Amino acid sequence: MNRTIFTTALLFIALLLLQVLVCNHIVLFGAAVPFIFIYFIVRQPISMSTNLLLTLSFLLGLGVDLFSDTAGMNALACTVLAVCKKKVFFSFVQKDDFSVTFTPGIASMGFGAYFRYLFSMVAIYCVLIFSIEYFSFSDVKEIILKASASCVLTTALLLAVDSLAFSKREKRL
Amino acid sequence: MRNLLNFILRYSTWFVFLFYVLLSCVLIFSNSLYRQSIYLTSANSVSSTLNSGVGEVTGYFALKSRNASLEQRVARLEAEVLNSRRQIAAYRAVLADSLGTNADMKSYRFDYIMAPVITSSTHRKRNYITVEKGTADGVRPGMGVVDHNGLVGVVNVVGPHTARIISVLNDAQKFSVKLKGTDFVGTLVWKGNDPHVAYVEEIPRHVRCHLGDSIVTSGFSTSFPGGIPVGIVMAQVRGDDDNYFTLKVRLASDLGNLRSVSIIRDIYAAELDTLANYDLK
Repeated sequence: MNRTIFTTALLFIALLLLQVLVCNHIVLFGAAVPFIFIYFIVRQPISMSTNLLLTLSFLLGLGVDLFSDTAGMNALACTVLAVCKKKVFFSFVQKDDFSVTFTPGIASMGFGAYFRYLFSMVAIYCVLIFSIEYFSFSDVKEIILKASASCVLTTALLLAVDSLAFSKREKRL
Repeated sequence: MRNLLNFILRYSTWFVFLFYVLLSCVLIFSNSLYRQSIYLTSANSVSSTLNSGVGEVTGYFALKSRNASLEQRVARLEAEVLNSRRQIAAYRAVLADSLGTNADMKSYRFDYIMAPVITSSTHRKRNYITVEKGTADGVRPGMGVVDHNGLVGVVNVVGPHTARIISVLNDAQKFSVKLKGTDFVGTLVWKGNDPHVAYVEEIPRHVRCHLGDSIVTSGFSTSFPGGIPVGIVMAQVRGDDDNYFTLKVRLASDLGNLRSVSIIRDIYAAELDTLANYDLK
């Protein structure tokens, strides 16, 4: 249990720092921004209580906001994403082949299901964050362009992170 | 009472969710540009320390091109100084009495504070710049900010050693500008997307202007002296109102590549503000 708390805290801080110190400064073609930090929300076990997940997600978003002068925007998007997580997850995984300590990942879900789950989560986040930022119907074109570009970039980066960081440990389980 | 507690516990997720959503909405919408706590901006001590650590490393990246542009600037200023000196000498020869020997050296109204940039962004709808100078160095909210090419922004929130600047690339901030060499004043606004292009609105229809004309600050505020370069006219577009037209402007400063800026301190600022508010008291 202590180990879980420790690794969760470590992942939280590492992703937050990676986002605000590196990824916030990467903007491809003036449109695609990598949102690495939502990996934290994506990878939390399904058994985690929704209240706890909501709290952690809100704090994570707030942390990113404090560094990037977007007061509250990432916090709001993260909170909504956290609330959507279970719904999205169960639309790709059957309820009966689901165990209590289930953590979404390639090893546990298979690549196809995990990819669809990851992509949906990233897409929801990107649409949310740019809609909140622009907050007007006149900028719909802009929102769609930025959201889709960021979505593709973030998904690719997160798959890369997956194959680097977690594949070995999970296969052993 | 017990029923109420049961109800709250049963739907606790919804209450927690609503609480966080409300909290973030408060943060988003109470974010009026001028009344903001320093802790909620990138000028707070934790983010500025971490970000300036990163800046130590990345500060070396575009050094070559920045150096070249600074050298150009120095050469231009040197030529200007020489010319001005010669002009002054020529005027002195003609009007020796009316111009005191050191009259031109006495009255500097504006004073520059150099500040290293910690973070800056150009891809958001509201972009900000954080710099490593604060109240301890004499920076106050409302001061104008320029770099060696031209207008950059205006100081917004100030901490003891850091300050946040509202960039020109921020759709909530407008600047008073004019066509160089004329007295036609317009408003500089940025409409998103391209970090090199902004618009000057409310230029009267009868004004003659050409592509390549310069836009400079108007000097109608205590933030900026007049005549600071803002950009160059790229095109003339139809405005919302038929009586005015809008100019598309290529911005002079490259805001994606800022390493240090100068904050302008107006020595008369306090005096002018009291005068402007005199009637209100």
